[in-house]
Amino acid sequence: MLLPPIAALLVLGALVAYYPSIEPATAAYDQSLIDVGISLGSYLRAAGQGYRLELPAAVDQVLRRDSFDTVYYRVLGPNGEGIAGDDGLPEPLNGAGDAVLAYDTSYKGQNVRAVAVPAQCGLDSCRVLVAETLVKRKRMARDILFSTLLPEMLIAFATILIVWFGVKRGLGPLARLSEEIKARSPGDLRPIDAAGTPEEARPLVSALNELLQEVSQASRNQQRFLANAAHQLRTPLAGLQAHTELTLAKALPSEVRAELEQVHQATIRTARLANQLLALARAEPGARGNAAELNLKSLAEAEADAWVHQALAQDVDLGFELEWAPVHGDAFLLREALANLVHNSIEYSPRGGHVTVRTGRRDGGSFLEVDDDGPGIPLAERERVLERFYRVPGTSGTGSGLGLAIVREIAAGHGARISITDAGAKGCRVAITFPHG
Amino acid sequence: MRLLIVEDDAPLASGLRRILEAEGHAVDVTSRGEQAVLAAAQERFDLVILDIGLPQMDGFEVLRRLRTASPEKNGPMPVLVLTARDAVDDRVRGLDLGADDYMVKPFAMPELTARVRALLRRSQAHGGPRIVHGPLALDTVARRAFLKNEPLELAAREWAVLEVLLGKVEKIVSKEAIIQAVAGWGDDLSPNAIEVYVSRLRSKLEPAGIKIRTVRGFGYMLEEFKGN
Repeated sequence: MLLPPIAALLVLGALVAYYPSIEPATAAYDQSLIDVGISLGSYLRAAGQGYRLELPAAVDQVLRRDSFDTVYYRVLGPNGEGIAGDDGLPEPLNGAGDAVLAYDTSYKGQNVRAVAVPAQCGLDSCRVLVAETLVKRKRMARDILFSTLLPEMLIAFATILIVWFGVKRGLGPLARLSEEIKARSPGDLRPIDAAGTPEEARPLVSALNELLQEVSQASRNQQRFLANAAHQLRTPLAGLQAHTELTLAKALPSEVRAELEQVHQATIRTARLANQLLALARAEPGARGNAAELNLKSLAEAEADAWVHQALAQDVDLGFELEWAPVHGDAFLLREALANLVHNSIEYSPRGGHVTVRTGRRDGGSFLEVDDDGPGIPLAERERVLERFYRVPGTSGTGSGLGLAIVREIAAGHGARISITDAGAKGCRVAITFPHG
Repeated sequence: MRLLIVEDDAPLASGLRRILEAEGHAVDVTSRGEQAVLAAAQERFDLVILDIGLPQMDGFEVLRRLRTASPEKNGPMPVLVLTARDAVDDRVRGLDLGADDYMVKPFAMPELTARVRALLRRSQAHGGPRIVHGPLALDTVARRAFLKNEPLELAAREWAVLEVLLGKVEKIVSKEAIIQAVAGWGDDLSPNAIEVYVSRLRSKLEPAGIKIRTVRGFGYMLEEFKGN
């Protein structure tokens, strides 16, 4: 991206350096040609009506000798007639005859550089033309170009390196910033630490942080609303449940009793739904923040009372195989996950069925699992039962279809894996396996 | 027994009142925390059922005032806290402020009445040496047990196990907890031994309708007496 402008600058720099330095060099070479012309002029002698050049052969040789180039000359009389030298060497196209001129022309098929020098011959003015081929001039031009280009290129190369390193170094913190954002979990709405970012990126970071703050505020508001709504539901539900149970304790006509039993069941289900919505609200990414070091064994032990009563009511044998199982997590959520699993298992177990709650460690990670000997979950349904509000077709229970979805979200929030497998000949086992640690 | 219900939700309050009156208690109801504090300062209640989510003075404040204002001058006044919130912090805060038990709304009435009975029994036990559970009565001073008013023979270890279970009716008591409560210094009691004591207790108590549930892999639970 940076290369074309730098290359253009390099060419421009070379041109700018080249022309000023080639001009004096060209002038110096021209001057030596002029000097040759002047000395040739001094060999002009009057001869009758005209003039001739009395040039000793040795001098002619010396004049023409040059290590690189071939030198030509031509002496013209006052009327422009050739007196001596190489015929056909072109005169300058313009300019007065008595001026010293340097010009480019060609001779014998070669480009040459020529000078025209006036020479005194008696009262008249003669003209001496001297020309040479361009070998040493070209060589000089090449040398000049090379000697200016080489440092230019070195500078350009250094510039590219510096720019490249500078950009890389300057963008490094930005790259780290984007890595940090990429690595975040969707629920992580904490502000970005601006300390490590360069001055130029600070406005970006602070704009991002403002956005993050707004999003997390909105998410907190939503969760607070959901939690409040769920909490608010509980008091009237408690009243409803109290009166239903009071009435059920009385002697009632059998149809009324049957109807009221339905109301009672609906009340309990609604209460459970309120709890589940609350759990969902809490399990939302971003709602967490109560993580602590916990032991799944103590968690299960503390809740065992509540479950045993439900199991007794459904005539299900609830058992425990609890071993030490440390995890880092949110006690409320894990309790809710465990409660949902146990509740499901008891709900779908036949009368006289067995449900076993197990905690412990395997393969370096803690786990909790619940076995039942109910109808099990068909293989094809095992993925779908984890979706919100999905219920296996034809199931009789009173569930909302939220239980396992909640368990899945809570498990995901703890980096844990949920699996549904067969438990023995029939029934199913739902296990949550926590990452190593 | 004299009970005070502090609950601002009228249907729930009236439901609670009727259930507890049906249990044979004298029940007063108020919807205001301030009134509850006043009432408790003037009269003696055997138990207060206190909602946390009250308007103006909330349940925590009421609890704090109850605990600081009347330092048990007329004997203990257990407080059962009701809440619609189940945040762990709330639970800890309530218990820290001196609540004796804690229930999250909504709850099944049998559970409430069982908890109320347990709290009342516990507070009576401070003064009285008698533990009564349906047809079973334990005289903890004379260390004599009666079933349907007949003397009941209990070995020392059986007595100890039964006492632990009676202290936590309707709650699971782990085998470890029983061993800890029963075994003296230097005793080496195995979980199997506890099973033996429990099965002996069962054979003595079950004919009278008193049930001890086994919670597989965990412990035992003495069920609320429901009659024969």
